[in-house]
Amino acid sequence: MTWADLGASALRAALPIAIWGCGAAVYAVARRDGRALASARWATVLVLAFIGLAVFAMEGALLSHDFSILYVAQNNARETPLFFTAISLWAGLAGSILLWALVLAGATAYVAWRGTRDLPRLATTALAILLGMSVFFLLIMTTPVADPFTRADPVPANGLGPNPLLQNHPLMALHPPLLYLGYVLFSVPFAYAIASLILGEAGDRWLVATRRFALVSWGLLGLGIVVGSWWSYAVLGWGGYWAWDPVENAALMPWLVATAYLHSVMVEEKRRLLRTWNLALVVATFALTILGTFLTRSGVVNSVHSFTQSAIGPVLLGYLAAIVVLSVGLILWRMPRLAEAEGIGAPLSREAIFLVQNVVFVAATVTVLLGTLYPVFAEALTGAQLSIGRPYFDRVEVPLALALLFLMGVGPQLPWHGASRATLERQFTAPILAAAAGAAVALAAGLDGAFTVLTYALAFFVAATVVQEFARGVRARGTLHGEPPAVAFVNLLRRSGRRYGGYVVHLGIVVVALAIATSQAATIQVEQTLSPGGSMTAGPYTITFGALRDAAEPQRDLVYADLTVTGNGVQENVRPALAFYPNATQAIGSPGIAPGPREDVYTILSAYDTRGSSWATIRVLVMPLVSWLWIGGGIVGIGALIAALPQPKRRPVAQRAGALPAEAEGARM
Amino acid sequence: MSGRRLAMLVAVLAVAGAVAWSALPRPETQTERVDRIASQLRCVVCQGLSVRDSPSETARQMRAVVSQRVGEGRTDRQIFDEFRDAYGDWIILSPPLLGWTGLIWLVPVAALLLGLLLAVRWIRAGPPPPKADPSPADLAMLRERAAREEALD
Repeated sequence: MTWADLGASALRAALPIAIWGCGAAVYAVARRDGRALASARWATVLVLAFIGLAVFAMEGALLSHDFSILYVAQNNARETPLFFTAISLWAGLAGSILLWALVLAGATAYVAWRGTRDLPRLATTALAILLGMSVFFLLIMTTPVADPFTRADPVPANGLGPNPLLQNHPLMALHPPLLYLGYVLFSVPFAYAIASLILGEAGDRWLVATRRFALVSWGLLGLGIVVGSWWSYAVLGWGGYWAWDPVENAALMPWLVATAYLHSVMVEEKRRLLRTWNLALVVATFALTILGTFLTRSGVVNSVHSFTQSAIGPVLLGYLAAIVVLSVGLILWRMPRLAEAEGIGAPLSREAIFLVQNVVFVAATVTVLLGTLYPVFAEALTGAQLSIGRPYFDRVEVPLALALLFLMGVGPQLPWHGASRATLERQFTAPILAAAAGAAVALAAGLDGAFTVLTYALAFFVAATVVQEFARGVRARGTLHGEPPAVAFVNLLRRSGRRYGGYVVHLGIVVVALAIATSQAATIQVEQTLSPGGSMTAGPYTITFGALRDAAEPQRDLVYADLTVTGNGVQENVRPALAFYPNATQAIGSPGIAPGPREDVYTILSAYDTRGSSWATIRVLVMPLVSWLWIGGGIVGIGALIAALPQPKRRPVAQRAGALPAEAEGARM
Repeated sequence: MSGRRLAMLVAVLAVAGAVAWSALPRPETQTERVDRIASQLRCVVCQGLSVRDSPSETARQMRAVVSQRVGEGRTDRQIFDEFRDAYGDWIILSPPLLGWTGLIWLVPVAALLLGLLLAVRWIRAGPPPPKADPSPADLAMLRERAAREEALD
């Protein structure tokens, strides 16, 4: 049996089982039949096992360079290094969908075995929906639409190898799976929301049950975005990390809406408000994950014409349309049952700020969506080609981002239900003073531009709110439980992870904001043509050109420049290169980076003497604080993890409530 | 006015002053002008990168053209028009405010304003949050919550 037979059979076996499981789950809900539920549960296990087997077959085919499979022939070659061969599973469309289906099957099995125990009816309905999605993916994988095991005919002696950009950097091992995990895990909150609508539940059980899924999905999506921009920085060699490329926008949009959702969830939990709104946000997030897949996979954003050339484009578009129409229809149908109180009633309250924040997030998403799709529609309707790029997005999104930064400092500082003047004063004195300090720091550092200075002021403002919250928490625990500060700090994160993990996330966002603002405002860029032994200056650094060198690797040829970066206490060798792959017409630039906590020296080999190696054109960028962008992303991830971890059960406080220690009151200001 | 409030007021004014000061227009050097214009032009062989950002040979040549035109003393408009005549509207990365493309500038602003209007109306509507007399059961629950939150606040 060949790998192709094994994989294709596994998928063909999984399809009827998924259909059966979906039907069994529907029957279990309709007839309240426990045996049908048991049957659906085992179906999820079998579906997971068979899709796992198909992934195994694909990996086996890749690792043994089995070019009788078209996907392997197109995305792998004999000389592809082992590491990049293994991760070629997500180098192309069909493999990505296979991985996607695997993650979905895993999440479905989790819901089947764990979810249905807590909320039998709701989770079983969600299970039917999730299995329905699996049926969709299995259908496209067992038909020519996206069959990963399509045979190559004739079988080539060697494959084409992965896209050069995808075999240039180990970060490629992380970026796509993180995004897929984020995308797919959001199916669970969506399925529960739809299940709740179908059953006509008025409560927020769906939302509480899937809070953690939403948070983990959001965190992974965010990490995927940061890793993607890091990859772009380290591989694409243009000296930037975010270009507002449609593919980047596709990942950003669901993240933006999910961020709004994670906040508005709290309003529903605390005040039973925003029910319809939360359902709409979940549907929008999920729809945007599908739209993202459609945009990246159908090729529609590069040219409208490539859309009709692949079968996957129309299929995904139909899937997206079906999801949107059904969800919106369900929400409208159930609207009367979702009726709620007519307003918030307290302008200076946390819930009011969260709502305003939601509006800004949605406006930011609408802008990205419009800017990404407008050229597509314009070309389809009028044939006119036009570009919407970084200048547009920067101009619209930067003010919105600053508004969000401001709200991030205000929201958590306001109590639920409204604040008194005294509370406002108590909460905002230190942060406002910190904002002034931030503006002063920006000016002292010689940073230019109103937006940059404002970013510093707001970043310090938010950082101060976070520090203030932690300081108060630590002090309160010290007074109440006699814990030393370090212990109290850990206990805050462990016992109230949702709240304090959230503050850690905010701190990470502050770091990211500072890194972006500084690197955008203060990058020095120099380009010069040098002879061997010659040198150039960029800011405080001297870059000396040693020589041009060649290197032959099995899968590519390299030309690189030996450079020495000196200055500012740094002495480092870097090698910006141009890589030539047999399957690429253009040389792929690969920057040489001397990273540092203060700034990165980023070098690019732009051009060189192809005849005599007597000159090379070197472009140097000195980019301040770029490393902090990745670090900030990591802090956000850690914060999300802290917030998602299960918290230890609290001891019942009721018995002690009567005897509340007097110091606790005293500890408050 | 208390000392705290005075301090806050001074700090807010300081931030506003710093932002306003850094927003003042500064004379643009020739390189800065070339960079600004290049950042608005699409590198024709790249995927959506601007002429300023792209490291490609084509972008370098386009940049050289911009630099030359700036040196000749052409206005921004003349330079953009020259590229537009050669490549079409597609070459400009930021669509014009006039005409149909004005929509993409208008819609975000309209969406934000409409959203804020609805949100503010909804925030102000409705009864003030519940402060009625709680039942004994509510009271016990509130007391528990207060104790818990105080332990953490």
